[in-house]
Amino acid sequence: MRRTMLVGSTLLLMLALAAPAPADAQTKDDTVVYALQSDIPNWDPPNSVLRESIILGYHVFDHLAARDLKTGKVGPSLATSWRSLDETTWEVKLRQGVKFHDGTPFTAKDVKASFDRVLDPEKKLTARGNHAKIKSVEVVDDHTARFKTDGPYPVFVERLTALVMQSEKQIKEKGHEYMQEHPVGTGPYKLVRWNKKQEHLLARNDDYWGPKPAFKYARVRIIPEQATQIAELISGGVDIIKAVPPDQMDVVNNSGQARIATSPILRTAMLQLDQAGRAGKNPFQDKRVRQAANMAADMDAIIKHVLNGLADRVATTVNPMAFGFDPTLKPYKQDQAGAKKLLAEAGYPNGFEVGFLQGPPVVEPAVPQTSEAISSDLAKVGIRTKKRYLGEVGPLTNLVRDGKAEPMFEWSWGYYSIFDADAIFFDVMTCNQPYSYYCNKQFDDLVIQGRSTLDSKKRQEIYAKAQKLAYDDAAYIFKWGLRGVWGISNRVDYEAPRDEVDRMFLVTPRKK
Amino acid sequence: MRAYVVRQLVQLVVVVIGISVLSFCILHVLGDPVLLLLPQNAGKEEFERYRKLLGLDQPMPVQYWKFASRAVHGDFGKSWYSDTPAFGLVLERMPPTLYLTLAGLCVALIIALPLGFIAALRRHSVVDNACTVVAVAGQAMPIFWLGIMLIIIFAVRLKALPASGYGTWQHFLMPAFTLGAFLAPLTMRLVRSGVIEIMNTDYIRTARAKGFGERQVVGKHAFRNACIPVVTVLGLQFGQLLGGAIVTETVFAWPGVATLTVESIRNQDFPVVQCAVVLLALIIVSVNFIVDMLVGVIDPRIRVA
Amino acid sequence: MKAVSARSDVALNADLAMPVAATPPSSLHRVWRLKWGLVAAFVMVLVIGSAAAAPWIAPHDPLTVDIRHRLAPPAWMAGGTAAHPLGTDQIGRDLLSRVIYGGRVSLVIGTAAVLVSSTIGVLLGLAAGYFAGRVDWTIMTLVNVMLTFPFVLLALAVIAVLGPSLINMIVVLGVADWPLYARVIRAETLAIREREFVLAGRALGMSHGRIVFGQILPNLISVIVVIATLQVARVIILESFLSFLGLGIQPPTPAWGNMLGEGRVYMLNSWWIATFPGLAIFTTTLAINLMGNALRDWLDPHMKL
Repeated sequence: MRRTMLVGSTLLLMLALAAPAPADAQTKDDTVVYALQSDIPNWDPPNSVLRESIILGYHVFDHLAARDLKTGKVGPSLATSWRSLDETTWEVKLRQGVKFHDGTPFTAKDVKASFDRVLDPEKKLTARGNHAKIKSVEVVDDHTARFKTDGPYPVFVERLTALVMQSEKQIKEKGHEYMQEHPVGTGPYKLVRWNKKQEHLLARNDDYWGPKPAFKYARVRIIPEQATQIAELISGGVDIIKAVPPDQMDVVNNSGQARIATSPILRTAMLQLDQAGRAGKNPFQDKRVRQAANMAADMDAIIKHVLNGLADRVATTVNPMAFGFDPTLKPYKQDQAGAKKLLAEAGYPNGFEVGFLQGPPVVEPAVPQTSEAISSDLAKVGIRTKKRYLGEVGPLTNLVRDGKAEPMFEWSWGYYSIFDADAIFFDVMTCNQPYSYYCNKQFDDLVIQGRSTLDSKKRQEIYAKAQKLAYDDAAYIFKWGLRGVWGISNRVDYEAPRDEVDRMFLVTPRKK
Repeated sequence: MRAYVVRQLVQLVVVVIGISVLSFCILHVLGDPVLLLLPQNAGKEEFERYRKLLGLDQPMPVQYWKFASRAVHGDFGKSWYSDTPAFGLVLERMPPTLYLTLAGLCVALIIALPLGFIAALRRHSVVDNACTVVAVAGQAMPIFWLGIMLIIIFAVRLKALPASGYGTWQHFLMPAFTLGAFLAPLTMRLVRSGVIEIMNTDYIRTARAKGFGERQVVGKHAFRNACIPVVTVLGLQFGQLLGGAIVTETVFAWPGVATLTVESIRNQDFPVVQCAVVLLALIIVSVNFIVDMLVGVIDPRIRVA
Repeated sequence: MKAVSARSDVALNADLAMPVAATPPSSLHRVWRLKWGLVAAFVMVLVIGSAAAAPWIAPHDPLTVDIRHRLAPPAWMAGGTAAHPLGTDQIGRDLLSRVIYGGRVSLVIGTAAVLVSSTIGVLLGLAAGYFAGRVDWTIMTLVNVMLTFPFVLLALAVIAVLGPSLINMIVVLGVADWPLYARVIRAETLAIREREFVLAGRALGMSHGRIVFGQILPNLISVIVVIATLQVARVIILESFLSFLGLGIQPPTPAWGNMLGEGRVYMLNSWWIATFPGLAIFTTTLAINLMGNALRDWLDPHMKL
């Protein structure tokens, strides 16, 4: 008996010692809470492809330029002005009086160090491809930097919003590994604590050069389960959640505690077809088959019923908000009889079976449902899809990259937040790009032309031609531009961001 | 006694090694991580270089040996996903899972012990049958359903508890209850059968024959001896917990090692998976070992085996 | 020769939670005790019958997509129609039809997986119990390794390599559960081995095979049948667990497990999508368990395991 008592009390003692670390002394009123579905792998934004890294990067770091959320135009941030000296040289003037979180002043040396680090092929940072057109950065003086590009680079200014400025001192003295967990930026928040895969605690940078955040603290909680996120939102545990499934919008709106906000975002969805035959011979190499596929599904009904109207139908892959979008081009109309005719002409009077690679609804909401609906419509004209499902985005992306995808697969593209048609055409629709299964020399020529001139009017014409070509050739099954859905607690004011980057430093308490 | 301890220790070591070998083989079958790690436009030479760098070009037994010799020192390599030491990552997430497990076991015991006892003592009665039904029903219920129901009731409607997360004792209540409810049914049935077995032994019959009152028989003698199977049962349950823990941790956003393992498997993050599996195995096997020792201490007969 | 460790003994009882009857009840008493078993058997007949007769009794094709009527509530709620008695799921498929057809998958997987695991487990258990010594030690260590090894990892590995199909699911679930049978059969074999008729057989010079399969195995049939029945229920639960992780039978094929998984995110508003498959699992496993208990009582009330 005594021995069992001993065992019992040992257990109890262990439990008592199990008290986890007490929470910090922030109160509800000075903290805004944001939920993410998965955690970032590191606090080094150029070393991660995740959108979550981009979002959190905005809080602790600044970029040279920033997008004005109201006008959508790119404006000054750490850089105050820029001009192109010639076709391949840009000069950028930097803001004065800016300090890093450790007190060191921000100068052109930090700009050079940040870019050099990303462009260095030895370092293998994931962001290298985005800025590869920049050949070198020179320090002209403390507040002026000169960029040399590899040929004309019309999206140079847009791309200035895509790299965070890191401290040269950190890079040189502390090194790569230290920087994975200890970010030192110039941003509106500082990182106080990171409990991996659990939460981040950010504290306001009171020496910030720009408008100071209204909330002293920002907590970023990692909550993988969507139903739990919604439960937390409506019970007051979290203030802002993103990517609310359209089917759950009514739960939030009816809760009395929170509301839904939506905004068109830069992401476009499509179903890629293996026209280039990268993964092997398949029926989609015939234009008529591709056209038939586009005519099979009732996309408008799908948007209405499955997405609750939260999408903007597009004729090609270009998002309505991107530069170069041609609003005069109308999307394919549903015509199942016509589709069957085309299939018969192409040699498939009884249709055919084809593999369809699908993934989880991580970036594209309700994609399992929309794909099912599309598959069902396709089957009605004879295109019988065989579903192949991968539960993780990473492996799926890898399959696509390596040319091992099915002849048809789900795809969406965030443009790396560059509001320009080039940002999708080049990576997703030109020959021999890792994520492109379409190859058309004429199209390629147009794309190259488009990125080789700085004349906007000319570029617009070129892109209109390119879109018409992609449309006529039915390059992919075109779907829609996405709309983001956010859940926002009624105790705060927040505007849904059209660039998919949530900014806790813009959240303000709601006036009573 | 010493022979017994030694035998158990040997088995412990063999099992842990067996598990590490098994998981090592399985992970290498799962896929080529080099494809995951390199940026998109890396050429063939890059792949070969990286493969060499990670030691993936060498034969499996060599790779395993390298891994094992480093693992013994606590070096499980760096996570391929987040570039930080795997051992640290896993260790960081171990306490929440362990606490949750212990809390869940306690809840299971609180539910199962009294119910199991009553069911055993009043065998075939209405109470017994009811308990059986509840037990079976409990085992059949999807645990995430229970979890979400609890969140809806206590966090959303009553606003009495936090919906998810980790930090204060309130955060423990719902997850512990969910996990406990998952374990309770089986535990209850085990307690019941253990007590029944004890009640039928000569020992108890003798006690009764000696004229001890029923309460004394049950309270003093039966209870004491029933503890053996109960304690043993706890040890067994510990090993089966991973399944329940994964679901509980996901639903309640609990920063534990179960979800880390599943995520890492999905991300093909070998070092972390390997480390987690080996450490978990070590803990489970050690718990079983301790339980065996305890039982050997409580009941000397068993040692003779 | 006693059990390898104290745990094994208790584990035996643990696995089956079977009580030992104090006195043999009268025949009438026996039948009355079995009433729950009879009710359960009746329910099972209904379940199996409806699964077999699915094409005739299901109101709709379980795969027909109808997005205009998606997320329709059950007929008795506002917005529900008689055309879809249990409502529709997130792409408009009829839930009742899917639940009926889902029974086919769950039952097939349950039965097949149990056949696989019982075959492997019984064979290994017989070998361990009969030959004892080193063979026993090896097999038992393997059993311990399998028990400690996270089922999740094994499942993920097999399915990641082979793909999530019906056959692979059966393989995974079959391989996961055999240790249970092995342990029980081993203990039983150890006991029977010393019985007179076996010793006589050996004295007569019968071959090992004849003794094992001709004399020992027939005595174990009732044990195996009882365990297997109960395990079907457990396998059904495991299948739903794998579907929770996205590894089970893939949609659109209806299976109770994947329907639960798909309906998970709809728990807060379109609750019926997850609840009815959940109820189906619950009812079926409850019935199987009660039937198994009754079967055990009927076959051998003295069954001591």
